Amino acid sequence: MFGGVSAAYVKRAKGFFLWSLFIIIMILSFRVSSLDIKTLVEGFSYSVSLIKEMFPPDFSSWKKILLLSTETIAIGFWGTILGMTISFPLGFFSAKNTSGNVILYNISKGLVNCLRAIPDILFAIVFVTSLGMGSLAGVLALAFSTVGLLSKFYAEAIESMDRKPVEAIEATGSHGLGVIRHAVLPQVLPLFMGYNLYLLDHNIRAAMVLGLVGAGGLGLELFTQMRSFNYQKAAAILIIIFAIITVIDRVSARLRKDIINGAFLSRENRYKDGLLLLVISVIAMLSLYFIPVNFKEMAYGIPRIWEFLKGMFPPDFSGITVYVNLMLETVGMGISSTFLAVLISIPIGVLSARNVIHAPVIYNIMKEISNFFRAMPELMFALIFVAAVGLGPFAGVLAIAIHTAGFLGKFYAEAIENIDPKPVEAVEATGAKFIQRIRHSVFPQVLSLFNSYNLYILDRNIRASTVMGIVGAGGIGFELVMSMKLFEYQKTATLILIILLTVVLVDWLSSYLRQKVV
Amino acid sequence: MVRIENIRKRFNGRDVLDGANMSVRKGEAVALIGPSGSGKTTLIRAVNGFVVPDSGKVIIRGKGINYRNKESLRHTRKKIGMIYQLFNLVERTSALENVMAGALGRLDNGVNLISSTIGLFNREERDKAMELLKFVGIGDKAFERVDRLSGGQKQRVAIARALMQDPELLLADEPIANLDPKTSRKILELLLRINMEKGITMICVLHHLDAVRDNFSRVVALKNGSICFDGETYTLTHDRIHDIYEFEEDTECLVA
Ligand SMILES: Nc1ncnc2c1ncn2[C@@H]1O[C@H](COP(=O)(O)OP(=O)(O)OP(=O)(O)O)[C@@H](O)[C@H]1O
Ligand SMILES: [Mg+2]
Repeated sequence: MFGGVSAAYVKRAKGFFLWSLFIIIMILSFRVSSLDIKTLVEGFSYSVSLIKEMFPPDFSSWKKILLLSTETIAIGFWGTILGMTISFPLGFFSAKNTSGNVILYNISKGLVNCLRAIPDILFAIVFVTSLGMGSLAGVLALAFSTVGLLSKFYAEAIESMDRKPVEAIEATGSHGLGVIRHAVLPQVLPLFMGYNLYLLDHNIRAAMVLGLVGAGGLGLELFTQMRSFNYQKAAAILIIIFAIITVIDRVSARLRKDIINGAFLSRENRYKDGLLLLVISVIAMLSLYFIPVNFKEMAYGIPRIWEFLKGMFPPDFSGITVYVNLMLETVGMGISSTFLAVLISIPIGVLSARNVIHAPVIYNIMKEISNFFRAMPELMFALIFVAAVGLGPFAGVLAIAIHTAGFLGKFYAEAIENIDPKPVEAVEATGAKFIQRIRHSVFPQVLSLFNSYNLYILDRNIRASTVMGIVGAGGIGFELVMSMKLFEYQKTATLILIILLTVVLVDWLSSYLRQKVV
Repeated sequence: MVRIENIRKRFNGRDVLDGANMSVRKGEAVALIGPSGSGKTTLIRAVNGFVVPDSGKVIIRGKGINYRNKESLRHTRKKIGMIYQLFNLVERTSALENVMAGALGRLDNGVNLISSTIGLFNREERDKAMELLKFVGIGDKAFERVDRLSGGQKQRVAIARALMQDPELLLADEPIANLDPKTSRKILELLLRINMEKGITMICVLHHLDAVRDNFSRVVALKNGSICFDGETYTLTHDRIHDIYEFEEDTECLVA
């Protein structure tokens, strides 16, 4: 009995300790990212006045914008195709059940994990420094980051397939390729197609910002216009970017749904598959026009990549205290932005859940808002916020918070839409008010799910914070870019090491915590 | 045709097969019965090499199976058709494509290897697959996706796939356990017709003793990993059945 009391006491003390820790971490994060109520209010009013300055948008250079948009799409397209081609074999090698060789499996898996840890914009900087400015650097950067994501998706699809038909085909004495072609591929191909489309969508969005570091596309133009305070021209570009992203998002969502419903890849839909293939090939061929592949440049570039890698050794640790401080600032940005994102997402999530808000107008508008936040790349938001609130981590925090509020808003809404309706009805039957209903019947059901999403977003936001410095929005990224621009590759090496270490640590911590939460 | 000699297999410290012996003559059809967990599936998977015995031999047409050599194992499998309880078809493709996959074993070199890997089969194989689908009674479903077929139709596709191999031996592991009684009867009739007309040797794991009595002249029973009955079906008396399926002090045997 006494033991029971003391156990309860320990539990409470532990809870108190955890809450204090949480609050201290929050306060520290707000401090390093210069976030407080006053700056938030000011930031809001600055942003509003910036938006006012953007009106009316100036479309006078629409021809140029159109051309650059096409180039951007071409970059995203070829980045995806190239990445897909590499991921296809790599996916099989890094799947436990098809790899066939332990060493090959571990090497491929390690490679894929490494590629995934590095943000695409870092690849872009490397390729721009070695191959020169232009769309080719963008294509290669996207290809590399695509391999990191896609190979993992492929491998997971392969690992989760149904074993039974595979054994049956093996039992007929089929050759190995036959088993892959006739038992594995039919199972995984629709999933692969869905992932490819998802990545295409993702890459076209990413291509919009690669221009910020000179890797082709619309980004550079936007950057230039913002920097020279031509906000009306910048607004025109933003509107066009938004239009493109929305259209592509819709088309890709539609196609993905069709694939899941089996509208492709089956005998009776051969003509549809053919049509899709034809459209894709035509786009691919036409878009090649925008990606000048200059073999001479490439021939020069490859030794330069080698030089870059060689120049990194040995890493220069002289600035380590500065770097560690910057990394702490970066982590603080990730935490603050996640906190803000959660604050923004709770109302968005609740208001876009179909089963709590019975008015389609409201939940549809809210869903569109989170779509918009999600679709616009965060570096683009960062560019805008830097113009509105000035250089520094605060701009970065706002940008990341807004962008990820799009994700969290959607996740929250889906979680709420999937709850058990019975308790909600029971609380409603007691005559409770809307807020009370949400608090007492909805939140208890979704809280742990929300927390696991929040941890996932925290992990991702810390990674995102590492590149905000590219547009001057705080964190370690600025130092990283500068070290590369000044050819101080030994410093670059140290910075990359610190970033990778932190990313791995945070990844590990967040998956540990996620297990605890769920 | 098939001789199983003193096979032993341990899983997790338990003897699943404990010195099983049996032999099947060419053209014969044998029903394999026994309580759940007695090792029936393990035994027939040792015949097509998915279970590697700890000791003992499986001899097919006078040649022992070489479990260590992948290529030789594959050649052994080419002539053994396997029918599963859950059909094990590739659901997303058509019945015809599933049947044609049965030919992959012999399309293993040169142009055939390449074309079958791309997914193209020659006219001959295609016609043969169509022929077989007609033979098993679903010629009209050739282009239907398998996930839209009924259980009985799926099992027919699986049988056609096995026949596509031109097998000398057909193994069936509870081929009717997931089907309704009427469909079960028809599928069993089909399997026995294949045995009679094409002279294909067959080992069929079954749980329905009535079905065994009506269709098979020879029965082999497994119990605790060894053969406890092997003989003409009419000699399988009530007492013997009770012996085979009886509860034991220390094991979890059941079934009636
Ligand atoms: N790959 C394996 N790993 C571990 N144990 C296995 C494996 N395969 C079979 N076993 C065990 O061997 C025993 C016999 O299995 P088996 O599937 O051969 O029985 P069965 O006679 O076919 O039974 P049922 O009538 O239920 O199909 C079971 O206890 C099973 O758990
Ligand atoms: Mg079995």
